[in-house]
Amino acid sequence: MNVTRVTGINKIIRSKAFTLFALLIVLFVLFAIIAPFNNGARFITQRTIIGILQDIAVPAFLTIGAGCLMVSGAIDLSQARIGALSGMVVAVAIKNWQLPWFAAIAAALLISALIGLINAALVNELNFQPFIATMSMSSVVYAVMYLVATDKSGQLQGVINYKSPTVALIGNYEIGGVVPVSVVFLVVMFIIYGVVLSKTKFGKTLYLMGGNATAARLSGINSKKTSYFLFINCAALSGISGVLYSSRTQQGSLLALANDQFTGLTAAILGGISFGGGSGGMGGAFLGLVVIKTFNKGMTIVGANSYLTSVLSGSLLLAALSLDYVSQRRQRKRVGI
Amino acid sequence: MERYLEFAGVGKAFPGVQALDDISFRAQSGRVLALLGENGAGKSTLLKIMSGDLRADTGSVILNGETVSFTSPFDAIKAGISVIYQERQLIPAMNVMENIFLGDLPVKSGLIDAKKLKSDTKALLEKFGLSIDPEIPVMFLSTAHQQMVEIIKAYRRNSQVVAFDEPTAPLTDTEIEILFKLIGQLRDEGKIIIYVSHRMAEIFQVTDEIVILKDGKFVKTLNTSETDEQELVRSMVGRDIGDTYSHLSRNDSMGDVLLEVKNLASPYVRDVSFTLRRGEIIGFAGLVGSGRTEVMRALFGADPVLSGEIKLDGRSVSFKTPKDAIDSGIALCPEDRKEQGLVLWRSIEDNICMPVLSKLRKGLFLDTKACERVALSSIKRYDIKTPTVDKIVMELSGGNQQKVILGRWTSELMDTKILILDEPTKGIDVGTKAEIYQTVCDFAKLGIGVIFISSELTEVINVADRIIVMHEGHITGSVTREEATEESILALAMAQ
Repeated sequence: MNVTRVTGINKIIRSKAFTLFALLIVLFVLFAIIAPFNNGARFITQRTIIGILQDIAVPAFLTIGAGCLMVSGAIDLSQARIGALSGMVVAVAIKNWQLPWFAAIAAALLISALIGLINAALVNELNFQPFIATMSMSSVVYAVMYLVATDKSGQLQGVINYKSPTVALIGNYEIGGVVPVSVVFLVVMFIIYGVVLSKTKFGKTLYLMGGNATAARLSGINSKKTSYFLFINCAALSGISGVLYSSRTQQGSLLALANDQFTGLTAAILGGISFGGGSGGMGGAFLGLVVIKTFNKGMTIVGANSYLTSVLSGSLLLAALSLDYVSQRRQRKRVGI
Repeated sequence: MERYLEFAGVGKAFPGVQALDDISFRAQSGRVLALLGENGAGKSTLLKIMSGDLRADTGSVILNGETVSFTSPFDAIKAGISVIYQERQLIPAMNVMENIFLGDLPVKSGLIDAKKLKSDTKALLEKFGLSIDPEIPVMFLSTAHQQMVEIIKAYRRNSQVVAFDEPTAPLTDTEIEILFKLIGQLRDEGKIIIYVSHRMAEIFQVTDEIVILKDGKFVKTLNTSETDEQELVRSMVGRDIGDTYSHLSRNDSMGDVLLEVKNLASPYVRDVSFTLRRGEIIGFAGLVGSGRTEVMRALFGADPVLSGEIKLDGRSVSFKTPKDAIDSGIALCPEDRKEQGLVLWRSIEDNICMPVLSKLRKGLFLDTKACERVALSSIKRYDIKTPTVDKIVMELSGGNQQKVILGRWTSELMDTKILILDEPTKGIDVGTKAEIYQTVCDFAKLGIGVIFISSELTEVINVADRIIVMHEGHITGSVTREEATEESILALAMAQ
């Protein structure tokens, strides 16, 4: 008997990434055909591509954080609010506290990580469901943001504008005047996390925990330590999203990242990281995110109204989930459970 | 019109195993038919096909002359077939009457007719002579009463066929009497009754005819009144039992003391003391819930140790987590393979390499070649039937899944000194069982101390060198293989 691995072309075709890549090509072709009907607009241009990549930059870090947590079977619903708080801290630190830019960013990321630590403690020490713990944390963070955004006279400032050319460079600098540095950063991060997930012991641990937490623990995997790391990691990455957003807009806002509240989760799910954990990976999540943002960009270029865009993007997610469900059910049927 | 349920050439295959092969027999109304066979004979699969959980690959199910085909359990219920499983299918927080009338609650002008619901439920309960409060949520009922509620639910739906899957397993003797009375009542009303059980005495007490299955094939139908236990066993096993054990090649040289447990107490067990030598196999017997598993969990760092001492190689140890225990050379194959042992949707390789991932690193990364090598050597050693190392464990048969766990704890990178096997042969076919017994003896020959927990008395008596018996969280006795009889062990297990 020849016991080996399934390799080669079959494995690639069966993979989630392949499906998403095909979907992406379909989207590009469709939009390229439809766009000219909207006053002769063009879809496939350098500007569109760069635009999509720029749209990806902020939610990319949410996606990485959410993806890692979800592989291990957990979830963080406080991501967007943590990001918004992080952006707010940057603004307040520079404008009101007169901190230098690097100290402001460090403070923002540290506070984000601290919230992640609290999330982890709630889940691991007090045995909260991650869903409940992080949902509550989301409200708490929102309230903290109010405190941070209230000035000495007791006046709440929903938006705090500041000026820092250095911070602005982070979100806006373009290498050679073409490629945004934030895009390079996000691609590097996706690659690093992708490699960690698929090639290291730590990554393997996440999949085993997500697949069966009890079995993993009884087989000597230190789930608690890993869980702590993941929640802190996810929160810190959300903090990076917030810094990037703040850098681009040169403001801290209570509503920052509100549109991307579920983008990270959605991209991860679309990319094949199942809700219960134990499957999927960074490549899929990245492509999931690209599909979402390409779709939104395309809808803008073809001039669709925003409601239609919402309806269709929701339907896209539902369709992707249904496909997953059907294929999983087929697999289950095949093995008789 | 004569009423019957017939299986005509029913077949069903799962990956790597033909679970049912051309099964044909007929169950008559007004009679209780027993389905008898060893684990893996195909009884559960047959029940699942009957109840619409699974679809047969070949053949058909015929109810009163009409071929029926179900795509879901709902279809089967509509057609009048109810299966009472061991796992309750009630809604715990809902009360008795709501559960009985679930899906068909009496309605008066758009609202639930609570009065009628209550009086109808009372009438049903009285008919069967049961004194259960119709308004109590079923989660507060005893297991036995929950089962009764389920039977009445099936009766209320006017089921023509009622099948029971090991119904007496969780019941006491008096409760069993009540159940049998109920079954008798159903039979006298002309229901078709199918009864699955391992307990011989019951089969003779409650059934009219017996269908025997073996390895997914129909063996024969016997009239209960015209057969005896010996004949049934012979037909089920296809040979005389006892063979398996006399052919075992055992370890005959025990080493020094490896493990010493003194007055161990956890939240679930108390005052547990025993020793284990190198190369020794000790069996743990006792009824379900007697604390066998819990002793091992405490020993393994999975449950807190309240007091007592554990000495490994003469050195006092205390394990805070399973990881600590594993690092000291203790391995546990848990009772529930699927829930606690395996990561079902991951590969064989992942499942085998799980505890040794730290040893499989090359710099920052996992050494995939080494992972594959470790997995392959375990696959070869235990003859796990798989085409690839990355086949997901879910798709393997129960026996091969158990071998994956054995492979995990005895892979070339593990240094296992003590191997704890909790019900290692549960749900496994006879052939693989024999392989596992030999494997256990082979471990002993390598100097590993083996703890073998089993609910099958014959098995534990014949495989272990010494049998420790537990009852309600403490040890009631310890006997050697030579002295042990099923009766003596059972007496200790019931603390008589």
